[in-house]
Order: sequence, then C-alpha cells, then structure tokens
Amino acid sequence: MTDLATAPASTVEQVDAPPGRKRRRLDRETTLMLVVPPILVVLAFIGYVVWRQNATLTGAELEQLKWSQVWSLIGQHARLTFVSSVLVVLVAVPLGIALTRGPIRKFSPFVVAFANAGQGAPSVGLIVLLAIWLGYGFWTAVISLTVYGLLPVLRNTITGLDGIDPTLVEAGRGLGMSSTAVLLRVELPLAVPVIMAGVRTALVLVVGTATLATFINGGGLGAILQTGISLFLPKLMVAGAVLVALLALLIEWLGRVLELVARPKGL
Amino acid sequence: MWDFIVERREQIAYNTFQHFNLVVQAVVVATVIGVALAVLIVRAPALQGVANALSAIGLTIPSFALVGLLLPVFSIGAFTAFVAVAFYAVLPVLRNSVVGLQGVDATLIESARGMGMSGFAVLWRVRLPLAWPVILAGVRISMQMSMGVAAIAAYVLGPGLGGYIFKGLAQIGGANAVNYALVGTLGVVVVALLADALLLLLGRLTISKGTRVA
Amino acid sequence: MTTDLSKAPEPTDSSGSTGSGGSISGAEILLEDVVKQYPGQKSPAVGSLSLTIPAGEIVMFVGPSGCGKTTSLKMINRLIEPTSGTIKIDGEDIRGKSETELRRKIGYVIQGGSLFPHMTVEKNIALVPKLLGWDKKRIDERVDELLDLVSLDPGRYRKRYPRELSGGQQQRVGVARGLAADPPVILMDEPFGAVDPITRQRLQDELLSIQRELRKTIVCVTHDIDEAIKLGDRILILQEGAQIAQYDTPEVVLGAPATEFVADFIGSGSSLKQLSLARVSEVELRKPTTATVGERVADVKQRAEAAGDRSVVVLDERGRPVGWPWLRQLKGDTVLEPTEDLVNIDLRSTLNDALDTMLSSSHGGAVVTGDRDQYLGVVVFDAVTEHIRSLEEEARD
Repeated sequence: MTDLATAPASTVEQVDAPPGRKRRRLDRETTLMLVVPPILVVLAFIGYVVWRQNATLTGAELEQLKWSQVWSLIGQHARLTFVSSVLVVLVAVPLGIALTRGPIRKFSPFVVAFANAGQGAPSVGLIVLLAIWLGYGFWTAVISLTVYGLLPVLRNTITGLDGIDPTLVEAGRGLGMSSTAVLLRVELPLAVPVIMAGVRTALVLVVGTATLATFINGGGLGAILQTGISLFLPKLMVAGAVLVALLALLIEWLGRVLELVARPKGL
Repeated sequence: MWDFIVERREQIAYNTFQHFNLVVQAVVVATVIGVALAVLIVRAPALQGVANALSAIGLTIPSFALVGLLLPVFSIGAFTAFVAVAFYAVLPVLRNSVVGLQGVDATLIESARGMGMSGFAVLWRVRLPLAWPVILAGVRISMQMSMGVAAIAAYVLGPGLGGYIFKGLAQIGGANAVNYALVGTLGVVVVALLADALLLLLGRLTISKGTRVA
Repeated sequence: MTTDLSKAPEPTDSSGSTGSGGSISGAEILLEDVVKQYPGQKSPAVGSLSLTIPAGEIVMFVGPSGCGKTTSLKMINRLIEPTSGTIKIDGEDIRGKSETELRRKIGYVIQGGSLFPHMTVEKNIALVPKLLGWDKKRIDERVDELLDLVSLDPGRYRKRYPRELSGGQQQRVGVARGLAADPPVILMDEPFGAVDPITRQRLQDELLSIQRELRKTIVCVTHDIDEAIKLGDRILILQEGAQIAQYDTPEVVLGAPATEFVADFIGSGSSLKQLSLARVSEVELRKPTTATVGERVADVKQRAEAAGDRSVVVLDERGRPVGWPWLRQLKGDTVLEPTEDLVNIDLRSTLNDALDTMLSSSHGGAVVTGDRDQYLGVVVFDAVTEHIRSLEEEARD
C-alpha cells in the first residue's frame, strides 16, 4: 500500500561486497519474498479451483465466477496495472532526472513535498473526481492509477541519483564523457536499484488501486467484489478478494524479480 | 461549492470528525499491537525476516479486497472499517518498531543491565525511548495510509468522509457529484495533514531533546 | 607465577596509585575456580580462574584480545554467568542475590561512558540511586557531589544531554554514574578507550585522585599495558583462556616478568616504563651548595669550592629556587636574581617527567621543589639509574 513502508528493506544495499563474489547474499526477507509468494499463490489458486468446482453457486455468483468472466477480469486488471506502470516509469523517471539537474534542481524539494501531500489524497476520491471530469472507462482509470503511482518512482529516482558518489560523476567527466554520457552510463545504472525499488512499490500501489477501477467501468477484478458487496453474497466477496490478493501478490513478486534482474552486475 | 459546504457544514464537520476518530482509534490500537509484536519479535532474530515478509505480503493485499474478506465475518458497518484500517496500520508500525528496537546500541543495553535495571526497566526506560523516533515515523506512515483505507471502507458503510466520495460516484451527472467527491477527497487530505501535524507535535513533546535530530 | 598474594609486596603508598587518603570503602572480590565454557566451543573462554582482588585497590586486567579478560570482568556482575566456580564479594557469594540487586551495588563504567542519549546528565547519574529508591533531595545532592568530583560544574552540566558534551566529558559523566550509589566495587571495561591520548591521560590522573579519596575496589579491563601500569595497584596479565600469566604489582611485573609471554606483552623498554611508575620522591636527592639572592659572591664561591661543587642553586628570600648558575657565571659583588627562568620539578612528578626536564638542563639534573615551591634538592641522572636498578633487583627477589 505505501512506499515508505516497503522501500527501506530494498534500498539498504550492501555496497562493499567483495568483488570476486558474483552472487550477492540476499537478506532473509528478500529470499522469503522471492520464494514464498509464488508458492502461496499457486497453492491458494489450486485451493480456489477446487472450491470453485465443488461449490454450489447461484445466479449472480455463477455469472461472476464463470471461468471466461474471471479470466477476462484478470486480463483487464493486469492490463490496467501494466499500462499504468509503464506510464508511471515514462513520466516519473525523466521528471526525476530533470529535477536533479541544472536550474530546475532547486524545485525538487517542493515537487516531492507536493507529491507527498498528494499521496494523502484517497485513491478512491482521485478516481471518482477524474471520472467526473473525463468520463467513465479504461483510460480514465489508467490516468488516475498513473497519477497515484508517480510519487514512489519520482522520489526514488531523485534519491537514487542524488545518492551517487559525486567523485564517480567527476571521474566520468574527467574521462571526457559528455554529461549525457555520464547520465546514461554512470548515474542511471548506479541509481537503478533504488529506482527499481520505487517501481516495485508503484506496482503494488497500482495493482491494489486498480481494484477500484470497476467503480468507473474501468474493468478489473474489483467487479466481483463490487457485485458481491452490493448484493451481499459472501461467496462472491471472498472469491473476489482472494483472486485480487493473489494477483497483487503475483505482481509484487514480479516486481521483486524485475528488481533483481535489473540490478547492474557488480553492484 | 461554497454554498454546498455551508449548507451541510454540520454534517460535514461531523463526518470529518468521524473520519479522524476512526483513523486515530485504529492507529492507536495498531501502534500498541505493532510495538508489542515487535518487542516479541526482536527477541528471536529468526522471526524478523518472517515478520518483514508477512508485513510486505499484508501491505500487498488491496484494501478493497480486505474489506471484501472481512465483510462476511464482521458484517456491514463501522467495525469492519475499523478492523480493515487497523490491519494495515499495524504493518508499518511493526516494521519500524523492529528496526528501531534493533537499532538500539547493544552497549547501551548492556550498560543498563550492568547498572542493575530489570528486563522490563531496560525495555521501558532505555529501548523504547531510544526506538521511539523510528516507531513514531512508522505511526506517521500508518496514519497517512489509514486515511485512504478508511475512505474505501466507507463503501461498506464505514464512518467518515469516504461516504461523500461514493455519494459523488453514485450521482455522477447530477448537480452535486463534483461537490460531494471534492468535499470527500479534500476533506481526507485536510484531516491527513492535520493528523500528521498532531503526530509531529507529539514527537516534539515525547522525543527526548537528547535524541532529536537537529 | 606470582599469584600467591602473601609473596607479593604491599603496594607502596608513595607509588601514587593509592596514596594516602580516605579509608578503604571497597570490598574484597574473590574468584574461585571460575570457568566459562560457551556451548559449541572447544576450549573454555575462561578456564579455572582463581584470584583475590584486595579491597580498596585498582586491579587491571590486561592481555591480548580474546584472552577472556572482559568475560572474566562481566562474570563479576553476572552479565555473564560462569559455567562453574564461585565468585564472592566481601565474603558473600554473588549468586545469593538477584542479578539486579547485585548489579545495583556494583558500579559499571564502559567505553565512551555509554550514556543514555535520551536522558540528561543528571538523569543518567541518578539512574541507580532511583532504582534503589533514594529520595529526591538525596539524589540531587549526590548528583552535585559527583559532578564536582569529576570536575564538571553541576550548574552548567546537570541539564545537558550527552551529545552536548565532549568525549572526555561524557566519559567523566560515565565515571560519575558508576559511582552514583557509592558502590564498594566498580567494574570498568576499557573506560578511556574512546578518547584522545591527552584527554585519556587527564582522565586517568583524575581517576587516580578520585581513588585516593574513595579507596574503592576497582577492576578495570584494558588492552593498553601503559594504562595498566599507570593505574593499577596490581596488574593481572592473562593469556588465552584467562590463564594467569602474572598477577602482581606493576613494579614487579616490569622488573621481573614471570614468563616469556609477559615479557613479550610488556614489550621492550620496560625500564623506561618503570619511569612513569616511580616518583621523584623515591629517589635520593642531592643537596648542592645554595646561595640566597643578595649574598656576597665571594662567600658563596668559598662555600661551594669547599664542598667540591661547580655550581650553586640560588634561592630567593622565601626559599624558592630561582636559578642554577655555574660558579664562573657568578659575577659582581652580590648574588643577583638570575634572568633566566628555572624549570623546577615537583617532588610528586614521575621520573619520566623529571628526565624530560633533566635532559634539557646543562647540569644533567633538575631542581626539585615541594609544597609551595619550597626548594628540596636536586635530582641527577645517576640517582635515577641507581633507583631503577634497585627496583629491578627488588622485583627479582
């Protein structure tokens, strides 16, 4: 749900690992989070399938939990998450880079403070307001999810770039690299672990918030929950909640894998 | 917009208070639970990774999904909202408390024991006060998060400002849709800022001058 | 090995470590066959340590890292429980009381002072008295008294937080906190390890002067042999597994290292180390001819030649030395007050300091003064070397 709570563990990097060791030791939490969630997801999904095949479902329940319906909702949910996350990265990373360079630099505290305060706005309010303004639908949902996911990536990009040892940047310039070359070949690669931690946080925020997209006909697994709650059908509520939670865990896990893969070798 | 607020000022004030009230109560309970769990967890280093992993998983579960899970158990109403908010609020407090308690210099603890403090005195007078700034930072995160969770919990008739947002949603196209949604959203932002300011003040009052940064 | 206490020479009062002062308020500590074996380790951290720490003395535990000195120390206040063996303080088995009760009667001072950063100086010092249930007035008075004792102005420092103090001041507060409830026994673990050498020296001197007054039993772990020599009434040198290599006064340890290990550990220059142990007061002073300002030069020369001296010490009317001229430098009718400054040394200075002064003097000696700068005599190289030789012989016997 929140970036502040999940970021620290992944941003504490053991930088001074001996150079000969290719595989970095992962801390216990990271290891657990790489191994446990996929197993949990698979087991729970098997459990769901078994329950689904044996449960006696009626009208609306049957309608919502039809396999074709479920798969299509999962697809929508994933697409919402994926499209929004890509947009988040495309907006937040360049913005973060811009805010660490030249004269714009001095605005970065204000931008971060503003984004921080904005994070205090309830996601559901943002979605509803945007829907009133732009109308219902997939793209309105995508825009609100993007706005909501911006902060963690923006902040981590700024933190990551600011945290680089200035002597390395100087060394790059001293070798005759242009400032663009230093950015692309020295600064960004070194900041990747921190940026990726932000991306993972954003993924979790976005996949969770995408549950609310159903309120504005944006699709996604929230539909099952919404129907379940409006008609007070406990089976639907639980089934919807389980499916959403499993998808969120899976996406979080993918974020962790991505984070691990994207980490430059040697760091 | 202004007329809208003035006409409903009593009701808005009441709901704002309800929102604040729900979140503060949940966060207070969560803080007690989170710190207590952390105190137990730091005794066993093996549990720490597990606890962190569990809290990461907990934070991944979308709040709307949790509300759906709780509803069959606790039924529609304020209590479900309270449980949902408190569930998420525990996690950052727990995490920060573990970090804070672990961060207390081991020589200070030994020094305290060497002076003849009992285990409880060491915890109460040395470890918790020294970890408090970090714990409080966790409480601030919890508070901010809980504001949004409480808004979503309004979907199952939880108290507070979230109700306005859903009212706005229900009336889209109607005259007051924007007003409802704006009042709900901005109201939550205002309550969140207010609560955060209160926590900063609490920090000022409770964090020893000797450990305060700057 | 000289563990048998009856053989060990009584600590000499003039060595400066104990000195004259208050009556002994410390308690004897007795370790009998104390063993600490950690599970899963082959050899014990402490293998059967037996030791008597006499009341009112400073005993220094030294040895290479991992020799078990800190473990041995921490068993005394039960921060570490011995696997077997008995420890008695003032004749009482330390297992007779609860851990907390025991520790409240043992001062504990560790590196850097280890002050609680969230408490003021006052609160830090007051901790143990509060645990013991003293009333507020008594605690307040005690805090003032202790701050005075460690040379910190109570008015200025009471309300400060540790981070507002220098390292040396923090360490002083740490010592004050250890003394707070007036415990008979104080344990120190590398107490001055975290401060710069100059501050360390000052803190050591202060500790010695505090100890002259209080006469506690102080057990202090250090890795610094020089610190051990300076502070200790006795030094316990430990080898791996807390095997006693030697337990004796610094004089004996330096003069007659019991084993190769001890000799190695002390390192070269043990005679030089003796010099910071011995005081000028222990050396025989020479009494060359003196002259008083205003006396007739002819009389002075006559007196000096009769005594076989080629120089005289010039004193002012109140008997304070002001110069040390050669005879040929005496000109004119009467002895004048010399223009050059004379560097005196105090009777209580260490021989180390005295040698420093002597080396810069053309006479190969230094003028020694006592209270209120009164002239006492002159210390020369020969007397110092003679003294060192006698110390070494004494130690060998």
